[in-house]
Formats: sequence, structure tokens, C-alpha cells
Amino acid sequence: MSSSLNHFIAADPEKCIGCKLCEVACSQAHSSGPAFTAGALSAPILPRLYVVQTPEITIPVQCRHCEDAPCANCCPVSAISRKNGAIVVETKLCVGCKTCMLACPFGAIELLPVYKNGAPVMQAVLCENGETSMDEVPMLFAGKCDLCSDRKKGPACVEVCPEKALSLIDPSRMKRERNIKAAMSFLNTSQNFS
Amino acid sequence: MSKSKQLIIIDEELCTGCGRCKDVCPVDAISGIHGEPHKIDSSRCIFCGQCVQTCSAYSSILDEPETPRADKLRERGMFQSTTEPLFAAYCAGDVFEISDALKSDKFTMVQCAPAVRVSIGEDFGMKAGSLTPGKMAAALRRLGFNKVYDTNFAADLTIMEEGNELLSRVKNNGTLPMFTSCCPAWVRYMELNYPDLLPHLSSCKSPQQMSGALFKTYGADINGKQRTEIYSVAVMPCTCKKFESARPEMSMEGHRDVDAVLTTRELAYMIREAGIDFESLPDEDFDKPLGTYSGAGNIFGVTGGVMEAALRTAYELVSGEPVPETDLIFVRGEEGFRIASMTMGEQTFKIAVVAGLTNVAPLLEKVRAGNAEVDFVEVMCCPSGCISGGGQPKVLLPTERDEVYRCRKESMYSHDKNSKIRKSHENPDVQKAYTEFLGEPLGHTSHKLLHTVFGKQDA
Repeated sequence: MSSSLNHFIAADPEKCIGCKLCEVACSQAHSSGPAFTAGALSAPILPRLYVVQTPEITIPVQCRHCEDAPCANCCPVSAISRKNGAIVVETKLCVGCKTCMLACPFGAIELLPVYKNGAPVMQAVLCENGETSMDEVPMLFAGKCDLCSDRKKGPACVEVCPEKALSLIDPSRMKRERNIKAAMSFLNTSQNFS
Repeated sequence: MSKSKQLIIIDEELCTGCGRCKDVCPVDAISGIHGEPHKIDSSRCIFCGQCVQTCSAYSSILDEPETPRADKLRERGMFQSTTEPLFAAYCAGDVFEISDALKSDKFTMVQCAPAVRVSIGEDFGMKAGSLTPGKMAAALRRLGFNKVYDTNFAADLTIMEEGNELLSRVKNNGTLPMFTSCCPAWVRYMELNYPDLLPHLSSCKSPQQMSGALFKTYGADINGKQRTEIYSVAVMPCTCKKFESARPEMSMEGHRDVDAVLTTRELAYMIREAGIDFESLPDEDFDKPLGTYSGAGNIFGVTGGVMEAALRTAYELVSGEPVPETDLIFVRGEEGFRIASMTMGEQTFKIAVVAGLTNVAPLLEKVRAGNAEVDFVEVMCCPSGCISGGGQPKVLLPTERDEVYRCRKESMYSHDKNSKIRKSHENPDVQKAYTEFLGEPLGHTSHKLLHTVFGKQDA
């Protein structure tokens, strides 16, 4: 795996209808607990991919798993690293500094609240103006696509898309396949010349 | 009926115009340009709520909302404590009205549809199809309902009335085939699209409305109350039941048979709001006599269930002998249209079961042409019957929906299988109701309370 390029998920804007089901599925894939109905959800939907809708295009944007990942390079606490061919955030290490968010050229990282047992996890921070010197604020982490690496069936967004607009791309394989296609095309064309 | 006109709504702020609701709507009531908020034409809408189940466009905490969540919750009839995400398509709720009634000096009676007990646990984190009739009864009692009755009782009653109606039609050359009338979305579909075929509908009110009518008469007598003192609530898997209960013909002397309807999801909101820990509730019984039911009454919640329940009783009515096999597997199934026949004594009945309104039109065209060779038809609007109703816990991912529905269905049948009484006519409290109050099926009192006339709706 280490020698091949990182995989990533690409969406086809011609197919995407903007239903946001990929976001719901992503959130579900990254939440613990048995909740599979809306009523049982006690935490908000927290996706790691973001459906963008403009007059020109509708498409989900998510991490490209860059080979020289700017987010990983700039993380001051080394919370982002390459793992099984994907760039992943070690949530426990993340301090919510937002450096990765700024560094990502795609805007594929969002600071998300940490939820546990249906409630946001709070953290105490020093505060000058409060009644006490400490304030309780929600704990945040850098949420990004991890290719659902812990999920047997692969990325949840790809599985659930009703339009089959999303696919998991293996760049090395795709390159080889395109080379073969090009070669075959060349062969067919050259036969016409002889 | 202005309220019913606004029953199923698409929130323009949240709708992304993906059109998945449009695809699932069986009556083409939803329109809109791709990428722009869609609209529901209430004059065509049958309020089945399948769009509510399908919609995945939600209000994200990452976007700045135009209207604050608190306002949206209020608009939708939801408690501020509700934590679930808000989706674009929704059904306007009634929890505030019912909470007020529970605090008032009204004598409150509640009934629960069969499909609620196999799904409500899901909204409390229990596994798909968890069977919880006892916990549900306990929860309703803790919410403060004075009497916790059951729609299943009236489902058994429906079989008595509908079964006899069918036999009477067969005997007296009445209009055949006869169609079931339990599903209000189906009834509205007929009224809007096939008014000329309305005589084919059974004149039976649905179990919800039969229960309501009995609560305020027989139930009032039993509890020593006046009709005016009773507030009657139904818990339903169906959004259209709200519409049905508000129909003007579903009332007596200005008093509605069913004053308000809660969907399964709304009951879950109320239980949460009251701080009741659903999973740890003990199993309690429904109140008698209007909460006593057979397995046949319970399977009304799944496609083919009404037919199976009816055949179990009809067989005995026609042949004078009990049905040789209680499980009538041939009417069960997943397909949207199924036909079968059953011989009872010297007569053979041809039956059809339709699940999903998109499957009914070919049959209706045959009926219109006079060449539908069938005697009795069950039609349910929703794809797997009431277990997949618009008011049921919303399964977030369509990839999981079939499996969840399968689990709910399995629970429906296992509840029937494990019931001591499995045939509607053997329900002792139904028998007692006829002896003490109703007289006989299709009799004068039954006719007045349990039957109705469906008419062309002016949309």
C-alpha cells in the first residue's frame, strides 16, 4: 500500500442531485451507538463531506487524501497522519487549532463538536472576563473524510448515493486502466491506417 | 379542515430540490424544478407521508439557518427538547394539543395501531422491529391517559363487519369486488381519482374511527362518562390518519370520534419530553374491554394482514368450520400486487392484495372495464403496509430500510403467532360488545357507529 497513491472519493457533478444523503450516511458511519432512526439521534448530523450547491454545480466536496498533505504537514500536535493509504485525524490528539482547516486547498476539513452519549463534550478554558477564570466551551475536533477505513463495506457515502454519483478512486489503478484504454485505442486507430 | 390541508409540508429553507420526494410520491402531488425548493399540491396529496420518510435534506448545524431551530420546532409542532435533526419534508404535529388535553379535566382515552408496537422502540435506540406492546401501554399510562385501549380491538371488529359485508354482497349480488377501507390514503386516492368506483369500497370505517366511535358511546357507558367529557387520541404509524380523523363524517353530533392523532414519532417525542425511560418500563396490559385483541387484529399493520385476518373469520362464517390452517401464507409477501383464491365450503373466493398505490391502477382499470375477476381486495398505500407508514420512525438510510421493515414485519407475525386468540371472531370482548351493545354485525347500531359513506372529495 505504501508505494501506491492514496485513494480518494470523487463525485460526478452530472449525477449529483444534492440530496445530502451522503452527508447523513457519513455522519452515521462515524457515530457510535445503535441509532438508525432520526428519532433516536441525540447528536446532530456531523458529516465529513460537504454538499456544495451553487447555480452552476451540485457536488459533495471531501478530502483528496493528498500525498504531501498540507493538513498533516502543518498540524502542530501531529494529530494527522497517513494510515492505510488515507490521511486521518487522530481525534483524541486534535486541539482544534484550525491550522489544517486553513491549509486544506479544498475546504475538506471542518471543526466539529465532540459528542458523547448525546451531549457535547465540554472543556474548560481560561477566560479573563468570566465570573470565574474558567469557561466551559464545547470541545472541537478537525472532522474530515477517513475513507471509512474501519467500515467493512467501504465508504458509506459511496454505498448510499441514490444516483451512484460517488466512487472510490484508486489513482494508480485508474492511470493503468486509462493507459491500457489509450493503447487499445491507438491500436484500433493504427489498424485503420494500414 | 384547513389544518389537514397543511398536513405534509416541505420546508423551503431546507429543500435542495433533489426530487427524491417527487419520485416516491404515488400521486404526483410534488412538483419543482431541479435544484429549487419543491412544493406539494395539497389538492392531490393523499397525506401518506412517504416523502417525509424519504427526504434527506436536513438542517445542518454547520450552516447559519435563516429561521432559528427553536422557531422551526414550534412551527412543526415539536417540543424544544427534541434533539433529532430537522429534514425538509415533514408532517405537522399535534403534541401540544394533546399535552394540553392531558392536563385538562377531560377523560382521556387512547388507542394504538398495531404497527406502532413493532417500531416505537427504535426511536429509543432499541433494535429494529423490537416488539413493545407492554412498554407502550405503560408509557401511555405514565403520560396520563385515563384509559389505554387498543386499535387492535377495533381491527377485530372491522373483520366482523367487513367479513359480513363481503358475504352479504356476494349473497345479494352487491357491488364486487369489494375493496378494504382501512387505509385513509387509499380512500382519498379513490375519492380523488376514481369516484365512479366508490361503491366498491367497503362501507366500514377504519379501525381508528371504529375505536373512536366506540370510545364515545360504549366506552363512555363503561366508564360512566358523557360523550362530551371524553377526549379520544389515536397513536398511528400513518400521517393520513390525522386527515381521516378530521373528516366531517367521522363525528357524531358535532363531536369527533377521534379528537387528535399522534404519529409513532410524536408519541416518542412525548415520552422523551416526559422524561420516561422507555426501555426500562415494565410490560403492562391494555385496558379491557376495548384493549383486548386477537393476533388477527394485530396483523392489520402489515400488507396482506387485513386479508389474512378476514379469511380466517370468513372461512368459519361460510363453511361453519374453523380454518384448517391459521397461518395463511399465500396472502403474505413482498410483491406490490398478489392474487390468490381460497375455497370455503362450496364457494371459492378470489382475492387480491395491493401494497403501494402505484400498483393499484391496473386493477382499477379492469374493475372499470368490468373484467376484474376478483371478489375482495386489500389495498394499503404504503409499500409494506402500515409498518412502513409515513408516521413511523424515520429510517435514516435507504440502504437499511428494507431490513428494518423486514424486522418490523417479522415482529407483527410473531406477535400474532404467540397470541392465545388468533381469530377476530374469537375475541371474547368483541363478542361481549356485540351482546351488550352493538347487537349484530351490520345491525342498526353497527351501521350507525361503524359504517360510513365515502364521497367524492372536493379537492
